[in-house]
Parts: sequence; C-alpha cells; structure tokens
Amino acid sequence: MPTLIACFKWVIDEAYIRRGSDGKLDLSAVDYKIGEYDRNAIEEAARLRDAGGGGSVIGITVGTTEAAKGVKDGLSRGMDRAFFIADPDFRDLEPARTAAILAEVIQSRIPQYDLITCGEGSSDLYAQQVGPRLAELLGIPCVAFVQKITLGDGKIVAERKVEEGTEVVSAPTPALVTVLPDINTPRIPGVKDTLMAGKKPVTTITKRDLPSMPEARLKTVDMKAARMERSCEKFGTDPGEIKKFIDALVRKGVIR
Amino acid sequence: MAGIWILAEWRDQALELLGIGRQLADKMGVSLSVMIGDTPEGAKVFIAHGADEAILLPALPEGQSPDAFIPLIAEEAGRTEPDLILIPATYRGKELAARLAVRLKTGLCSSCTAITFDEESKSVLMDRLAYGGAALQRVSCSTRPVMATIPPRTFEPAPEFAGREGKVRELAAPAHSAVKILEKRARTREIKDITESPVVVCAGRGVEKKEDLSLVRELAEVLGGEVAGTRPVTEELHWLPEELCIGLSGISVKPDLYIGLGVSGQIQHVTGISRSKVIAAVNKDEHAPIFGAADLGIVGNLYDVVPKLIEALKKTP
Repeated sequence: MPTLIACFKWVIDEAYIRRGSDGKLDLSAVDYKIGEYDRNAIEEAARLRDAGGGGSVIGITVGTTEAAKGVKDGLSRGMDRAFFIADPDFRDLEPARTAAILAEVIQSRIPQYDLITCGEGSSDLYAQQVGPRLAELLGIPCVAFVQKITLGDGKIVAERKVEEGTEVVSAPTPALVTVLPDINTPRIPGVKDTLMAGKKPVTTITKRDLPSMPEARLKTVDMKAARMERSCEKFGTDPGEIKKFIDALVRKGVIR
Repeated sequence: MAGIWILAEWRDQALELLGIGRQLADKMGVSLSVMIGDTPEGAKVFIAHGADEAILLPALPEGQSPDAFIPLIAEEAGRTEPDLILIPATYRGKELAARLAVRLKTGLCSSCTAITFDEESKSVLMDRLAYGGAALQRVSCSTRPVMATIPPRTFEPAPEFAGREGKVRELAAPAHSAVKILEKRARTREIKDITESPVVVCAGRGVEKKEDLSLVRELAEVLGGEVAGTRPVTEELHWLPEELCIGLSGISVKPDLYIGLGVSGQIQHVTGISRSKVIAAVNKDEHAPIFGAADLGIVGNLYDVVPKLIEALKKTP
C-alpha cells in the first residue's frame, strides 16, 4: 500500500489584491486559500492511495503560523495526516529555501514513501521551482507537468506535457511529480470532511527543530502592482450603442 | 572563462536568447556561450548571431530523458563558472533550470519578462509577474551564477552579424537518467499559432454550451481573427484545445484587438491579454473584473449582443 506525500502552500487569494493609489500592492482585504494547483496535487495523491487499496497521504507545508487554517483545509481534501513546518519568519520564502526545508523534514521524519506530488506551481509566486528542486535535493527522479499517472510495481508511469505534445515516461520510486490542473478535478470538502479533518494528526515543526536555515539567495528589490487598468468606455445593447461601439473600434484603427 | 550561458533545446529559442544575451554580455564585458544539442553547422549559425562559443550536447540514445544532461551541465558550469545562465521557460527548460540551480547552489528567477544589468551595483535585475499577474516583482540574486528562465517570444531574435568567429566544442555523452521515455505523442493536430493574430476573439464561461462557440467563431471570422478560450473553456471543459488557453499558465497574445465574450476577467487571464492594443469585452455582469482591464465594453448578454455585432460589422464598409 502506497505512502504518498502531497506538498501544498497556503497563499494569498490573488482575486482580493488591489492596486493602492501609490502603485503599491494593497493587501489589506486579502483572503487566503490552498493554491489552485496544489489542490490537484492533494487530490492526485488521494486518488493514487485509493487506487492502491489503502496506504496514506501525508500532507506537508511550510508557512507562517497562520497557515494552520490551510493545514486543516488540506486534511479535509483527502490528506490523512500532516507535517506543518511553521514559523513567523516563513513568509514569502524563496523557492530554494522552501525546497530545502521540505527536503530536510522529509529526510528526517518520513523514512519511507513512494511518491511526492506537487502542484505545477504556487498560485502566488508561480516560480514552479519547489517540486523539481525538492526532487534534486532528495536525489529522486522527477517528472514535471504530469497529466496522468499510475503507481505500482516499484515504479510510476506518467504522461508529461512537453512543447511538442506529450511523453509517456517511467521512473523508479520513490519519485516526485508536479501535476497540471487537468489531471483531476479536486473535491470540494463537505461538512463531514471538515469535521473529520479536525481529528487527523498534525505534527508541527518549528524553526528551532530544524538543524539550520537555508540562506536567502534571491532578493526582492521591488514589488509593485502591475499597471493594467484601462479606462473602460461602456456601451449598451441597442442598435445605436452597438454602432457607437463599432465606430470606436474603427477610430482606434483596430478593424478595417 | 566567466560569461553568459544560454542553455536551449531548439534553435529558435537559442536565437531569441542570443539577442538579449549579446546585449547583456557587451554591458557586462563578458563572453557569450550557447549550449545546445545541435550540429557543427548549427554552431556556426549561433556564432553568426552573436555567440562567442557554441558548446554542443551529444544526441541522446532512444528513450533517454533530457534530464540526463543535468549532471553534465552542472559539472561544466562548475568548471567554467558562468556569471549568468539564461534558459527558455518551456516545460523541460523550467524543470531543468530548477534542478540545475540546486546543483549549482544558486537562486533562479522564473519566467523573467525583463532583464537588465545595473552598472552601478554590478547586479543583474530581473522582472517577473507574481500573484497571477497582479504584481510586478523585481529580484536580484546574491549567488553566482545568476539564473533566469525566459518565456519564448519575450525578446526579439538576434540579428546576424557579418564575419563573426567563435569557438565550437562538444561535450561527452552523459550517464543515463532514471526517467525513461516509453512513448512520444506529437499533438494530434496542428494548432494554429494565434499569438501573432491581429484580432483574437476569446470565449469565456459566459458561453453556455460547446455548440454556442459557433457564435464566437462567426464573430472572429467577420473580424478576420482567431478564436481562443479562457482556462475553464479549454483546460477544464475541453471545448477548445489547451493550446488556445490564454492566461498565465497558457499563451499570451498581443493582437490589435482582443474581444472577450462572457469572460469574467480573472487576473491570470488578464495577464495573458495585457499587451493587446485594444481590449474589448461583452459581459452581462457590469461588475465583472474584465471591464477594469478593457478599453471598450458592452454590458449585455453575449447571446443578444454578438449577433447584433456580426450584423453591424457586415454592414460596416
């Protein structure tokens, strides 16, 4: 019966980000969520566990202490237990540091596993590095941008997306995959799932429990709101308005 | 010999990165190398387009995954200590870059949209989008080499220079990867490249049924444009091929005119259309975020509006 590790991140829901009058990001009204792609990673791990006739899905995340909500959310989405690596300093970690912390915890606390699933990227920074970096740090095979996967007989067979189409590949386990959104449809947790989530075991690990902190390499010199607001001229739907709309397109020289 | 490396899979990607690579190499006063699986004839092309050196990777045996090159490239980088490595942000490129960065113990800036050398601080500054495109992040890297992946078509291909000369050398075959390729499936049909189309009409979730895409197609036809879709319409519902998915995780378009039909305007989608000259939208929800990103908008039901638009456009001389 397989042991699966699903990595996920509790991120700012970008739909709530506003542009402040000073051009800076306005994060005053934001809400948080498990990254969209990470939901596919959790779902795929749960699917492979069930297809393997049992086993377990261990969720793992690195974040600030507020991400406890995300751990519970993840447990309601099919994870059986979780490792929560939390510290107030773990805000906006760069991918290299997140991957190093995950690798340290997996190596020291999860002696045996078959497969690690990651989303193709986080919904906030979308650097798409943590999965491949983690595989390299652990010294296990990596298959990225996977659309379909089977697990058994000490190997995975996966379909990965490449520029020219798809490739079917095999790799011995333990291995790591990053998954694309079309691999599955993540479940929407029901009331029962949410209640059950509260009873599942969570191991909290703090910075003090880690032998060392990986050094920062990237420095964010500037972070500002992208300028994409345009002054929208609105039109109605009666024939006169439709004509005005088309005249505006002609005036702007974009239709001939 | 320190310098800039371009690590590419295909010739056209290498030529795009040679354009920006040459500019940076001149500013930084370093050499420019391209590392690629190509022939000695191909190497001459890269040198003519600005490379000082071409490092050729050997062809892999059938079934070998290109990640077999990672240890070899890391070893070569350890020996020659490049200052900067540029890699196309393709599926394979993104994976390879992240894994190589681990071996080289350095930082990586993913999907850079701009890259400059600041002469005062002697540092490479890299811009990228964050939060689905809502934010522009500028990063620098404190370790060497600085690494960046760059999406295809971000930079113009390098021009050809007359009389350039450069070195060519070939690396030895690498050890096998644990990942084996069992089968390659080319895309079943050729998808038209819509990234250069002057008009793009995009179907959003406001289109209720797959059959109703005929309405979207008809408008595109009248305007002499191409059809595309949002992520729900392509990757989730599969009404249109994934290759026509506009957004952060799909393609970016920069037509003269983009028209979104029933497109809500999630930030990831807007990021993929933000370089359009004119953005127009039809949506029945006057509060849809797309109107915040559009120049012209019609607040109305697309099933009512689009036929009217088609009819009126046909009458427009």
